[in-house]
Amino acid sequence: MTVPIDQHLEEGKKDVTFRVFRFNPQVDSKSYFDDYTIPVERGITVLRSLNYIKEHIDASVSFRAFCQAGICGSCGMRINGLSQLACTTQVWDVLAKSREQGIIKVEPLRNLPLVKDLIVDMDPLVDKMKHYSNWIDSTMPEASMGKKEFLISEEEFLRYDKATDCILCASCVSECSILRANKEYVSPAVLLKSFRMNVDSRDSIHDQRLAELVKDHGVWDCTHCYRCQESCVKSIPIMDAIHGIREDAIETRGVKDTSGAKHAEAFMSDIEKKGKLVEATLPIRTNGVVWTLQNLLPMAVKMIMKRRTPPPPPLVKSAKGIKIFREMFREMTEHVKQDHKSHKK
Amino acid sequence: MKPFDVVIVGGGGAGLYAAMEAMKTNPSLNIAVLSKVYPNRSHTSAAQGGANAALANKAKDDTVEMHIFDTIKGGDYLADQDAVEVLCSEAPKIIRELENMGTPWSRMPDNTIAQRPFGGATLPRCCYCSDKTGHTILQTLYEQCLKKGVIFFNEYFALNLSVNGSRSRGLIAMNMKSGKVEAFPARTVIFATGGYAKMYWNRSSNAAGNTGDGQAIAFRSGIPLKDMEFVQFHPTGLRKSGLLITEGARGEGGYLVNKDGERFMARYAKEKMELGPRDLVSRSIETEILEGRGFDSPAGTYIHLDLTHLGADLIKSRLPQIREMSMQFEGVDPIEEPIPIRPTAHYSMGGIDTDNFGRTVMEGVYAAGECGCVSVHGANRLGGNSLLDILVFGRIAGHTAAEEARKFEPGTIPEVELKEQLDAVRGGMHSSGNYERYGALREDLGKTLARNVGIYRESSLLQKGIEEISELKERFKKVRVFDTSDVFNTNLMQVLELKNMLDLAETVAAGAYAREESRGSHTRVDFPVRDDANWHKHTLATLINGKVVLGEKPVTMGRYELQERTY
Repeated sequence: MTVPIDQHLEEGKKDVTFRVFRFNPQVDSKSYFDDYTIPVERGITVLRSLNYIKEHIDASVSFRAFCQAGICGSCGMRINGLSQLACTTQVWDVLAKSREQGIIKVEPLRNLPLVKDLIVDMDPLVDKMKHYSNWIDSTMPEASMGKKEFLISEEEFLRYDKATDCILCASCVSECSILRANKEYVSPAVLLKSFRMNVDSRDSIHDQRLAELVKDHGVWDCTHCYRCQESCVKSIPIMDAIHGIREDAIETRGVKDTSGAKHAEAFMSDIEKKGKLVEATLPIRTNGVVWTLQNLLPMAVKMIMKRRTPPPPPLVKSAKGIKIFREMFREMTEHVKQDHKSHKK
Repeated sequence: MKPFDVVIVGGGGAGLYAAMEAMKTNPSLNIAVLSKVYPNRSHTSAAQGGANAALANKAKDDTVEMHIFDTIKGGDYLADQDAVEVLCSEAPKIIRELENMGTPWSRMPDNTIAQRPFGGATLPRCCYCSDKTGHTILQTLYEQCLKKGVIFFNEYFALNLSVNGSRSRGLIAMNMKSGKVEAFPARTVIFATGGYAKMYWNRSSNAAGNTGDGQAIAFRSGIPLKDMEFVQFHPTGLRKSGLLITEGARGEGGYLVNKDGERFMARYAKEKMELGPRDLVSRSIETEILEGRGFDSPAGTYIHLDLTHLGADLIKSRLPQIREMSMQFEGVDPIEEPIPIRPTAHYSMGGIDTDNFGRTVMEGVYAAGECGCVSVHGANRLGGNSLLDILVFGRIAGHTAAEEARKFEPGTIPEVELKEQLDAVRGGMHSSGNYERYGALREDLGKTLARNVGIYRESSLLQKGIEEISELKERFKKVRVFDTSDVFNTNLMQVLELKNMLDLAETVAAGAYAREESRGSHTRVDFPVRDDANWHKHTLATLINGKVVLGEKPVTMGRYELQERTY
């Protein structure tokens, strides 16, 4: 679909084709794209362009928008493949990086059920916020509230200041690589909120929340792809929060607590000793002998048949330059410890 | 559906506080919150600056009394003094309550809640969380409501009250996801749908949805609206978009500068300078622009908000959001250069007429927050008092409704009313005779309001405004809903919102035309002084037989006598 464009465009205007994802469950059996070409001047956002399309070309194009100032989080969508807010995304900036010249593809967020066009269902995210108790359960009884303030140091405030920037736009949810495979996964936004609650001294259910976070589909499922953090529209270091929860889990609950924690610990010790992984015993150290025999024996047999077994531990030689590496490793560990100390103050 | 004890329309600060308080008052009640957006999207999130409370953390000699006086004076003596007393004396308690529930307030060096100076306040008493105060308050309230298990009906658009004689039987609303019109029989209904300043459209800082839905529904049900002519223009909207730069920017020491490089506020408010009350600062900027001392640009004439002398550190730590907005929407980094700004319609002092407990004249119907008018802001609201208003009166309305719910018989909403509403909302979808485009009508409404019912008002302009609004209402009868689908029909929602704005615009213009004086945000060029003898009273606008009928209500006075208002 195109509209006639004035041939003599004013200087500073560009013809831009918005390739918009369309799906109306009432009439469509599958989704498709509609093209709308409009002249866009510098300084115009993707949201304003969509509003223009809705008002002048096709009123049925459906998307959410509310504050139009980047604070309410309504207009999260994928713009040329990247999840972001339409209201703070400049058309010309997107064009500069566009693979197909003059075309901007607009699609709904991923990993949430599609409702219509660019609108997805946010309920699963809200349900997860509930499941992981994403609220402060105050140490102060309700009846005594309002009488006096908790005294909170600037240092404590800074621990959760960035995390409270989150506007639940779900860009990170959309970009998360684990959620694509497992919709039950806690999701980055909920981990971020959980972290924010867990480092707040006013909260009384830290242990209970943490116990839920270390279960299946929880904090250990993250693969550190960093896509959540890269796509965060408020530039929140989400991965710091995820690492924060993991470190907290190991500290509070001990390394023997979960397979995820043990897995991480095994990695650490291998790398420190040899500079590479001792894969043969990794399953045993992560999940124990019984689990490994029960679950991995058939695969191990197949691997032996195909001569694909990893070498036994004595045969794993230290990596080249291990001495320098160990020195670096020590330095890094020291650095992390210092870092933690300054965080905790 | 089983009748509800309390149905709250709106999931912003007022609605959520009302829900929480209603559950606290009586946990056995059946309470629901209806919102046209997910509650965490509500416009409360956009409040940057803070909430006033005389905690005396920063200025040790601050008192509730001083807060009361500042508020009354700021409102140009139109606020009801008993209501202001409630607002200000509840303030410290409610800010601490939020703190106790987890709101991440910024902190003073002694670890207490931080406070900063704000317009119209004698002492620094505005409590804040950097420049995301509203956002963090809304998050806290939403989290606490989820914790308490409040039932939410998200993305439901309120259509009408079902009324039986002098009392309400509940609410009729459209489920956006299905397009179905559904009944919410309820003993009590609380309207907390926010303000109506979006009717000024491009000259407004408000979210697209601040269309006064609750006020319009109440008005059409015969409930009077109060002081609708008082619309506050915030001094510092971004030139291109009307989006807001918080008063906190001036609280932190920002200057207003004209094209001659002059800090012109010296001529209008010698003492308070940039931190004069909003109505005064807006008028001063508008005067500078009208008298040719603004900067010209294709996107309109503007003046400078200069923060460059504050330094990068302060701007980054205390005003990060406004820095981001200036860069995103104006391409200006406030650390390097001044921000282009002009006044923007920001806040509606008027709203549904309520008593100090949130009750309206209709049994079982309550209102709170910007949607209601108690009135605590009078003719002009002070910065930092709106978050406070929604918290204090949201809580009071929630408590009152919960207490009184059992007084009322549960209602049933007749099927025929649902049918009527469905026919009405789908009426615009018929192709025959419906050709007016929603966008054009909305654009024209914004323009006529900004031109004729704006910062400076005058008899002939107002008359023109009234005529134009009435023409727009005629044209609206032919409006076309082009999207005919049932599922999430945002085109239909926009049209319904426009209807609400048109109905309310009429009351704003009528009130402004009638009020022959200048008071607070309402400035009549032809009646430039405050006229206490004739106009020290509230305006009531009631819909009678399809016509706006204006009435009046006395202002409740108290300790403070009328005085001239100078800063």
